[in-house]
Amino acid sequence: MHTLRRLIALTALAVGLGGCAGTLTVPASDGDGGPTGPAPAALAPTQDGGSFPDAADAQDGGASPARDAAPANDDAALPEPEDPFEPISPRLQRLTVGQYRNSLRDLLGVEVAAELEADTPLHGFAVIGGGELTIGPRAAEQYEAAATEAVAAAFADPAGRTGCAQPEPGCLAEFFRAFGRRAWRRPLDEDEVAALVTLSQGLGEQLRDPWGGVAGAASLVLQAPDFLFRVEVGQDGPDGRQLTGFELAGRLAAFLWQSAPDDALLDAAAEGLLDTAEGLRAEAERMLADARAERGVLGFFAEAFTLDQLPGLVKDREAFVRMTPTLGAAMQGEIQALLRWLVIDEDADLRALLTTRTVFVNAELAALYGLPPVEGPGFTAVQLPPRHPRGGLLGTAGFLAVNAHASVTSPTHRGKAIQNQLLCFDVPPPPPGVATNLDGVGGDAPTTTREKLARHAADPTCAGCHQFMDPLGLALENFDALGAWRTTENGHPIDARGEFRGEPFVGGRALAERVAATDDFAACQVRRLYRYALGHLEAYSELPAIDELALAFQADGRRFRGLVLALVSHPAFRAVGPLDEEAP
Amino acid sequence: MIVKRPPMSRRAVLKGLAATVALPPLEAMLNTHGTAWADGEALPTRFGVWFWGNGVRRQHWIPNGEGAGWQPGAELAPLQGVKGWVSPVTGLEIKTATHPHHSGMAGILTGARYQQVGETRDTIVTTFAHPSVDMLAAAHFEGQTPFRSLELGIARQTGSDEGTSFLHLSHNGPNNVNPSEENPQAVYRRLFGMAQDTRVDLARRSVLDGVMGRIRRLQGRVGATDRARLEQHFESVRALERRLAAEAPECLPPDDPGTFPPVEGREQLAANNRAMSELLALGLACDLTRAFSVKFCSAGSGVIVHPAGARNGLHQMCHDEPAPQPTVHAAVTFIMEQLAVCLQVLRDTPAGAGNLLDHCSILCTTELSEGNVHSNDEFPILIAGKGSGRLRGGIHYRDRGRANTSHAVLTALRGAGVPAASFGHGPGRVDTGIGALET
Repeated sequence: MHTLRRLIALTALAVGLGGCAGTLTVPASDGDGGPTGPAPAALAPTQDGGSFPDAADAQDGGASPARDAAPANDDAALPEPEDPFEPISPRLQRLTVGQYRNSLRDLLGVEVAAELEADTPLHGFAVIGGGELTIGPRAAEQYEAAATEAVAAAFADPAGRTGCAQPEPGCLAEFFRAFGRRAWRRPLDEDEVAALVTLSQGLGEQLRDPWGGVAGAASLVLQAPDFLFRVEVGQDGPDGRQLTGFELAGRLAAFLWQSAPDDALLDAAAEGLLDTAEGLRAEAERMLADARAERGVLGFFAEAFTLDQLPGLVKDREAFVRMTPTLGAAMQGEIQALLRWLVIDEDADLRALLTTRTVFVNAELAALYGLPPVEGPGFTAVQLPPRHPRGGLLGTAGFLAVNAHASVTSPTHRGKAIQNQLLCFDVPPPPPGVATNLDGVGGDAPTTTREKLARHAADPTCAGCHQFMDPLGLALENFDALGAWRTTENGHPIDARGEFRGEPFVGGRALAERVAATDDFAACQVRRLYRYALGHLEAYSELPAIDELALAFQADGRRFRGLVLALVSHPAFRAVGPLDEEAP
Repeated sequence: MIVKRPPMSRRAVLKGLAATVALPPLEAMLNTHGTAWADGEALPTRFGVWFWGNGVRRQHWIPNGEGAGWQPGAELAPLQGVKGWVSPVTGLEIKTATHPHHSGMAGILTGARYQQVGETRDTIVTTFAHPSVDMLAAAHFEGQTPFRSLELGIARQTGSDEGTSFLHLSHNGPNNVNPSEENPQAVYRRLFGMAQDTRVDLARRSVLDGVMGRIRRLQGRVGATDRARLEQHFESVRALERRLAAEAPECLPPDDPGTFPPVEGREQLAANNRAMSELLALGLACDLTRAFSVKFCSAGSGVIVHPAGARNGLHQMCHDEPAPQPTVHAAVTFIMEQLAVCLQVLRDTPAGAGNLLDHCSILCTTELSEGNVHSNDEFPILIAGKGSGRLRGGIHYRDRGRANTSHAVLTALRGAGVPAASFGHGPGRVDTGIGALET
């Protein structure tokens, strides 16, 4: 049974037991902890927090993440698919706020100030909400205001915008053909073009302003469902129902650029180049080389690890004198810099995200981490020595702080985030009627967070689920709710012992290495990228495709770029099921 | 034409309200008793929901005494000043409970189970299977006011990916939401900042007609689920188009309320609540809408109630704070002070011979009874307002048979004059209200 089948089995087991009750231990697979970071600018860290625990292994740094890929783990051979892949019925994909704003930027070069309804992320991703939610009355008002603002800015120089000296029908038709194709991600029918020209003229008369009429018709283009939703209905062919070239262009641009396609991509669609896996892959390679790809790649990780919450991070100012209005954004900046380096520049084995010893700090973070001061507005790469307890995503203040409360840590939240975001293991919520107060066990008031959580382990009602979360998060107790190192809590020494899949260990680095060494970590990132790329939670019938991609990812040394290319050229990226006949 | 009433003399009323000073209504608008408009048409009744997340502390919530002679415990004490308009309903239970927060949210607001979104994860992501109760009222009032409904939020919404049941209050249907606006300035601009240029409005309507044509055309190419989603899009655009076609109500806009961003990382909850309450009163007095909701904070909210001495999120404190949870209790008391502000502003706003609160029926509730045990019995419910004489007001009704919460919701709905035969679905459905609360 390989990785994803095992995940499904775990899920089924948990459901079958009514939540998490019961003992569930899965031995960690073998494999080393992945590569370690290089030292772009190695500095000696100061250790102002006392001695560090010994658990972090002494694996040395100095290697490039790109050439230090670990050998593939078990299960490298492709299995026989047990069930055939079946795509789900198509769903209109409402643009996310980011996709909407990026599209206006790329189409018209404008930034709109108008407020838009915030995304409703589902299953971790705004795009999944985009595939489920519709446009309510308030959102329609906001789209009207935003489109009006966008065209007002874009038509400040109408002749320059349209390429027409005068708003005469023939030239306007050319303009709407080109603009409409970009906005609606497909060529317009001639009657659609004619309708826009006619509307321009009618509005021009109403407003007694011919160019104002053209701007008004352009605002229709931006308010039409053809723009606000990605339409991916497909058409029947010899290999089943498939997205058309233009629909694939829209899907690719939304995934990789979080925006609308450019003319080159639409030209490729028109020429039939996207009808083959090779052609799609070639376009994706071109798009990944474009600066806009950072939106898609960093956007995935930002949502996968809830990094978007960091700029608005709320912490208790009395408990944390280091908390400032800029610290949350700095924490986000560190993780973005780490991802840019590991994933985009180096295309390293993705496990390095957990095991690297390189951190990226600005002045504020260097102080928080107890490192020597750094200069400049950006983030400086610093390599930590082997026995330093920090390093990797789990050692970033961003991960530690966003998964903590305002004044105190939450080993439960940190453990849950590791299970959910890194291993795709979902821990269900407590059932109704269960007292959740943490009054302590044994009468005495608890002195540390570990003691407070003792009831989670002692009470079988709690332990069924909390055994999967608390023992992971407790290993990170040396990091306070802001992510700073500490050796005591309320005057009591920190005990950073943890347990992962039945094996005891001490401290955050040991935890990170154990998580990275599982097959589940890599498989989980594949699964989550599939959700992000396709804009829906996978159905059971799509799991064979995800299995294939996960095995290919592992065999390829877990390179994110290779995964993206494998995903867009996989048949699942272009297949859709039949239109649904009845709303569920 | 949506706004039927010639609003000439309301200018004066609203001008006074801009400073939230109660002015007597001009008698020219009313009949000689001040109980109806001069032409005999009844004064409008409004339906609202005032919601907060994470429940209450039961021992401080349940009033002493029943009927008209009830006395508030510590958590209802802030409502003493409007007690005559407030009817606590205690002892009821959500009949569709399986999950602590989600069941309570869907249960109280739709009288039904939630709808799970996605089947391949062992986690809870849900939406409402049916419209929320405020939208049942909005459907009844449809076409009588420029805005179908108004959704206000006080505390900032924080991240969650657990679905619309957790993030939003007002639902038109599954995954079809009316998000709450948390910025008073945005509410102000929406209600009072409408363009009045006839020529521009005509052009906007032409564009919106074109958008509706595009929606109809796309509906022919998609599956049934997407056709339904596009139908809502169509309705949304049509509502805007109709509003532009109607005569704008002649409300003198109040002063711009400004915004209340966090100070030193602390939300200005009380200031935001007061600004929103005043905008709500103005919007209702001007008859811009008759259906509204105020979401003080969402189900399971992590709002940090600093004025109550809290240093961590409310949801976490409900989970962690040792008994008897004094900070949670202080937070609930603070939230009831905010409800009291809202009700007092409505009471101090004239309407006919009485005030706005006389002409409202407001369901005030949360998604569970006690946060630390996630219980769905002994559900916290208040019905505020007198529903234009349909509701007695000031009665504590206590049920001893763990009856369905939907009885209270149906009472509130009917209190606003909505002729609902029943409320809820499946085990949550009822067809009788609570007679003791009705006149």
